[in-house]
Amino acid sequence: MSHQADLAIRTQGLAKQYRDVGALVDLDLEVTAGEVIGYLGPNGAGKTTTIRLLLGLIRPSAGRAQIFGVDCQRRPVETHRRVAVVPGEANLWPELTGAETLHLLGQVHGAVDVVYRDELIDRFELDPSKKVRTYSRGNRQKVLLIGALMTRADLLLMDEPTSGLDPLMEQAFRVSVGEARERGQTVFLSSHLLSEVEALCNRVAILRQGRLVEVGSLSEMRHLSAVTVEATVAGAMPDLGGVAGLGGVAIQGKALRCQVQGPIEPLLAVLMKSGVESLLIRKPSLEELFLALYGQNSYHARER
Amino acid sequence: MAIALASPTVTGPTFLARTVVARRTARRSLRSAVLWGYVFGITVASSAYSYTTIYKTAAERQRLDAVFGANRAVAALFGPAVHLDTVPGFTAYKSSMAVMIIGAVWGLMHSTRLLRGEEDAGRWDLLVSGETTLRQAVLQALSGFAAAAALVWAITFVITAAVGQASSVRISVSSSLYMSAAMVSSAVIFLAVGALTSQLAASRRRASSYAGVVLGLSYGLRMVGDAVPGLHWLVWTSPLGWVEELRPLTDPQPLAFLPIAAFTAAAGLAAINFAGRRDVGGSVLGERSSREAHLGMLTGPFGLTFRLMRSSIISWVVAVAIGGALVGITAQAAGSTVVGSSVEQVFTRLGAAGAGARAFLGVIFVILAMTVGFQATTQLGLMRGDEAGGRADHLLVGNVSRSRWFAGWLLAVAASLLASSIAAGLFTWVGASLQGSGIGIWSSLAAGVNIFPPALFILGTGALAIGFLPRFAVAVMYTVLGWSTLAELVGGFVGESHWALDTSLFHQMAAAPAVAPNWQTSAVLAGLAILMAIVGHQALLRRDLQEE
Ligand SMILES: Nc1ncnc2c1ncn2[C@@H]1O[C@H](COP(=O)(O)OP(=O)(O)O)[C@@H](O)[C@H]1O
Ligand SMILES: [Mg+2]
Repeated sequence: MSHQADLAIRTQGLAKQYRDVGALVDLDLEVTAGEVIGYLGPNGAGKTTTIRLLLGLIRPSAGRAQIFGVDCQRRPVETHRRVAVVPGEANLWPELTGAETLHLLGQVHGAVDVVYRDELIDRFELDPSKKVRTYSRGNRQKVLLIGALMTRADLLLMDEPTSGLDPLMEQAFRVSVGEARERGQTVFLSSHLLSEVEALCNRVAILRQGRLVEVGSLSEMRHLSAVTVEATVAGAMPDLGGVAGLGGVAIQGKALRCQVQGPIEPLLAVLMKSGVESLLIRKPSLEELFLALYGQNSYHARER
Repeated sequence: MAIALASPTVTGPTFLARTVVARRTARRSLRSAVLWGYVFGITVASSAYSYTTIYKTAAERQRLDAVFGANRAVAALFGPAVHLDTVPGFTAYKSSMAVMIIGAVWGLMHSTRLLRGEEDAGRWDLLVSGETTLRQAVLQALSGFAAAAALVWAITFVITAAVGQASSVRISVSSSLYMSAAMVSSAVIFLAVGALTSQLAASRRRASSYAGVVLGLSYGLRMVGDAVPGLHWLVWTSPLGWVEELRPLTDPQPLAFLPIAAFTAAAGLAAINFAGRRDVGGSVLGERSSREAHLGMLTGPFGLTFRLMRSSIISWVVAVAIGGALVGITAQAAGSTVVGSSVEQVFTRLGAAGAGARAFLGVIFVILAMTVGFQATTQLGLMRGDEAGGRADHLLVGNVSRSRWFAGWLLAVAASLLASSIAAGLFTWVGASLQGSGIGIWSSLAAGVNIFPPALFILGTGALAIGFLPRFAVAVMYTVLGWSTLAELVGGFVGESHWALDTSLFHQMAAAPAVAPNWQTSAVLAGLAILMAIVGHQALLRRDLQEE
């Protein structure tokens, strides 16, 4: 398969145990240089833990991790040279301005594409002369995004990078990740939003309660391309037993909600017989998907 | 089809809506108001009782009065001691300074917390909208504080009056009322000062440091006024001086309530007025939310650290310099009455043997050492804050190693402690020379540098704790500092407990300039500090970063 040096990220049996919580359990993951991988999981699945382990900010309970062949725990500063990070929380120094913060982040990384930085500032409509204290959550997030993207680092580690951004800025973010992909940068994108990962990533890794449950390309994971159907029928609810590809079926009187994998015509045909009053077909949320894939309590199991 | 919607009756804002901030403030003050009212009352009660049990005979009482009453060193530090041969006189003297300082510190911390702190946290965004303007919100908060102060007064009064009933104590109800009003005065003043600085400053930390500067100056001015003959008028320039001039239980002077009331009202009104002229989250000083980028220092962790510590370093050095100058001015007068008094014994126990200005300054430098130890604690708190707040991550995921981050902060804090120590020595000399007390500049500077190793030691305990127990690092430092300070006080004033003194960090250092600095001890303290930092560093390399 892939040669060692072509691997941007490689973890072997990587684990992190906090007292009674296995935040990350036995993670074996390989990310090839140049790919955009989605790291998908609900809150508390262990996404942030993984990224902090890769950065050497926390110590693993077991296993090891490498970035471009260099050990993350033993030689962190060396690995950091090829990495830029968008952390999960937008914590910055309130007394610095946006421009000062970007300058500092650039200094700490080492290299900055200044022209691209200014382009990003325009694209994200950030006013860098303002103090961070006065920024909204979204603006702080923009500073972090620009700070990571402007370095053109070989590997971008992004922890739920669009949290706090409005839809227009999410679009700007997608454009930027597209540019990074074109340049051959590797992007590790942690997210709890299926739609975001679908739009940007060639490959998806699904994390659940600290365990990697699936890895594959989107086309391999057909079940991820399910849609959610919400319908109200006019007459009595027909028998859906014979319809293929249904999951997570919930019926309440004349109202139906379910996930459909594959073609939806068979379902529509059955529903038509009773007369359809309303029909909504949309992408499922990760929560619905987990419900369909792993059953009740699969999504919130650890939160309680 | 016509559905009658129950339309809300259109009236003005209800009483409840209009007083939400006032009630909230009062409610959130309740616990600390009750606590301090109780503490103030107990302070009075215990002073009165301990006096009646320790000094039983008239002769003993007169001797106490003769020794302490005329002592300027005592007056400088704790306020003038008059009528120590009576229970009320001793009680007023014994409780006034402590209560005055505690009240002032509570007042300024409490009001900056509930005003600027709440605003920092974004909670006023919800409260201040529609019906309530910022101006009204501050007015309401002030009335909440007034209610809290009234509660402190009431509780102090009840306890004082109850104790006053005892036949051995005998303080009348009206005297108790006056006494408790005097005791709550400094809290009232500094609640208002805190409200004002909360409008001026853009962060809670800054607001409380501005108010702290006012407090420090007030203390210093009254100290000089009390100690130096001919400069007594300085007492009247200081808010704490006015409180002192109320002279409860001995020689009441209600006139002093006038400047107190006027100053408090002026600060309160200014606060309300400034609130009306700014935005929620904004401030009067440093209002600009944007500015030119200053990139000069931001090239890496060292520059950033200095940038983040800049205002802290400046405030501490200035505070220590002013404090040093003020005690320097009082040294000659205060020291002149030490010899042959029981104060001399206390000073001797504290290691400041001898007489005159040198002995007095020996004790003063011990206090300055505690101050610089406090500086170490707050500045290490900034370092821990950067880790706890997740800001250190930005450096540590770049080209900054943990070692560099750790060393950068510690060196910056150590440099800032050294700057304060030197400022203490230099400005104490300046003050002392003004009064011709014959302390040489080198001996004063040496005394300044001499307080650096204990502060470094406290920093070392913090560095060690950062490695093993980062969440408790600041608490560990406060424990070392607090224990040493307490042991010093207990050991100094209670003759028998020399073991307490031995456990005090500050007792390890020579009380220069009363005696020559002991550089061997200093080297040991500094060496231990470095050792602790190294061990802490090794632990830091092994642990997780811990946010909060
Ligand atoms: N410092 C910590 N101490 C104890 N438990 C933690 C700590 N950090 C994370 N956890 C736990 O580890 C699990 C994974 O957390 P995290 O990696 O933050 O999830 P995600 O980023 O996917 O939302 C959660 O159950 C969380 O409560
Ligand atoms: Mg997370």
